[in-house]
Amino acid sequence: MGAPVHNLASRVKGSVTEVTADSKRHGRHLLSNTIFKYYFLFSILALCFVLGLVIIFIGKTALLLFGHISPADFFLSFNWTPEDEAFGAAAFIVNTLSLTAITLLIAVPISVGMAVLCAEIAPVWMKTFIRPVLDLLVGIPSIVYGYLGLTVLLPFLRQISGQSLGDGLLAAALVLALMVLPTICRISDDAIVSVPRKYRDAAYALGSTRLQVIMRVVLPAASRGIISAVILGMTRAVGETMAVVMVIGNTPQLAKTLFTPTSVLTSNIVMQISNVEFDSTWNYALHMMAFLLLIISFVLILIIRILGRKRRDAA
Amino acid sequence: MKIFKKFTATALTAIIVVTASFAGIAAAADSVKGKITVNGSTALLPLTLQAAKEFQKLHPKVKIAASGKGSVTGPQAVKKGIADIGACDWDASMDVPGFKAFDGQVANKVAVIPFATIVNKNVAVDNLTTEQLQGIFSGKTTNWKEVGGADADIVVITRAFGSGTRVNYQAKALAGGDITKKSKNYKETGSSGDMKTAVATTPNSIGYIDLVYVSGGDIKAVKFNGVAASTDNVINGSYKIWAYGYYMTKGQPTGVTKQFIDYVQSKKFQQGSLKKLKFIPIAAMK
Repeated sequence: MGAPVHNLASRVKGSVTEVTADSKRHGRHLLSNTIFKYYFLFSILALCFVLGLVIIFIGKTALLLFGHISPADFFLSFNWTPEDEAFGAAAFIVNTLSLTAITLLIAVPISVGMAVLCAEIAPVWMKTFIRPVLDLLVGIPSIVYGYLGLTVLLPFLRQISGQSLGDGLLAAALVLALMVLPTICRISDDAIVSVPRKYRDAAYALGSTRLQVIMRVVLPAASRGIISAVILGMTRAVGETMAVVMVIGNTPQLAKTLFTPTSVLTSNIVMQISNVEFDSTWNYALHMMAFLLLIISFVLILIIRILGRKRRDAA
Repeated sequence: MKIFKKFTATALTAIIVVTASFAGIAAAADSVKGKITVNGSTALLPLTLQAAKEFQKLHPKVKIAASGKGSVTGPQAVKKGIADIGACDWDASMDVPGFKAFDGQVANKVAVIPFATIVNKNVAVDNLTTEQLQGIFSGKTTNWKEVGGADADIVVITRAFGSGTRVNYQAKALAGGDITKKSKNYKETGSSGDMKTAVATTPNSIGYIDLVYVSGGDIKAVKFNGVAASTDNVINGSYKIWAYGYYMTKGQPTGVTKQFIDYVQSKKFQQGSLKKLKFIPIAAMK
């Protein structure tokens, strides 16, 4: 960066001493700029370094697994019985996917509806009330949701379903839906608000009703933003541990019904990691599951980035 | 990530407690000095922390760092040389279901831990025999009326495989019997606290837990083969579901580690603080 602009005038008519003072100041600026540049560079490199370490260490331990059992035994077998040296993770993978799907099935329609309300329909006083409340919900620790699930939701589910336990995919999906709801809602809300006003004006000018404007114009125009919101919610649902572990039953088996006590990748890791031996196939299998979660979230984030780029190109 | 946070928190708490107790003491001339690292069972952690506090008061030049994770991490840390003492809920120098013996380690008894079979308060049954428990936990007995209760499904709540409580309960209460997973009315929990909450909130449920956790009106301990679960019955030998808690060491303990274990095993500590923490002194068992 050159000398600050406001100094130019004084420099032109100024004396020699003023010029030296100026160049000193200039040098100082250069120095502080350089220092900060390297500080920022260092910060980001440190983060990348840590992230790299996480991937390398989890991955390294995880890959040791395939020295003990074949990938097919891990990915395709539904039998997870550590005491008999059977480490099939297929049940957890399928459960994780179905849990995420059920969660989104419950959460997406509600949260997109709420987003439309916030962005399009609600009066200002209502918007200024709802938005901070949703932001607050994001900040509630997951263990609190889990505890409420255990003490409030489960007895309620037992009552209406006639089950004697109530733990399972449905309970976990309901808790998760509540958790991802504010995330999906707030981001969809932003996406809908940023749809240009001229689109709506044009639609109204053509004689559309408000419902038609929302369904046919605003939502399609905001669809990429809404999809990003859903994927962000999905990453939270896939990775959530503490809330899930309290209501899912933690039994390593495939969930055939909504009320089968079962286990997902995250809950199985947290349940077992403190009881395993360091150099055991069991430990490597748990690391492989963690590595799998890492890959899933990377893929999801990648999709969000690609969608975001397309949206910018389209705009 | 969450799990690491949890461990860090536990470790930090342990370190803070230990250092806090250490800080206020004036350094006296003392020949006993050194560093002891204790790793392993969370069930024994309160005992270790209390003992460390008292031991460091006696010998200000000794530093003790204690942390809790799972039972099996204790002997593992000793094997790898990370810890001097590995706290474990079972004798890790011998094979137990699921875990091989750790060769060359010595098990030092430090406490007696009683366990209890617990049921939700709505269960009418107040006594179960070994055979009945084997039937329930192996999944053969599925209705309370088969063991003298009301006509209702039995909900089995158990600890995950690898838990020290589960190892001991299987060995003592089920006489080595299996705990079989089922597609319904079966749930695993990750800690004693979770176990208590789950049994307290689930009608018709049965589980097992350290006796010290049995309190409050929502759960009750059932008799085992006609004997009530109490410390007195453990001491007089009639109640059989109990186990020793162990400090595993690499070979016979030496130096300051030996002195620390001697302190934990001393009459003063066993009859005093250990009893206050609701463990049973090892000397009480004959």
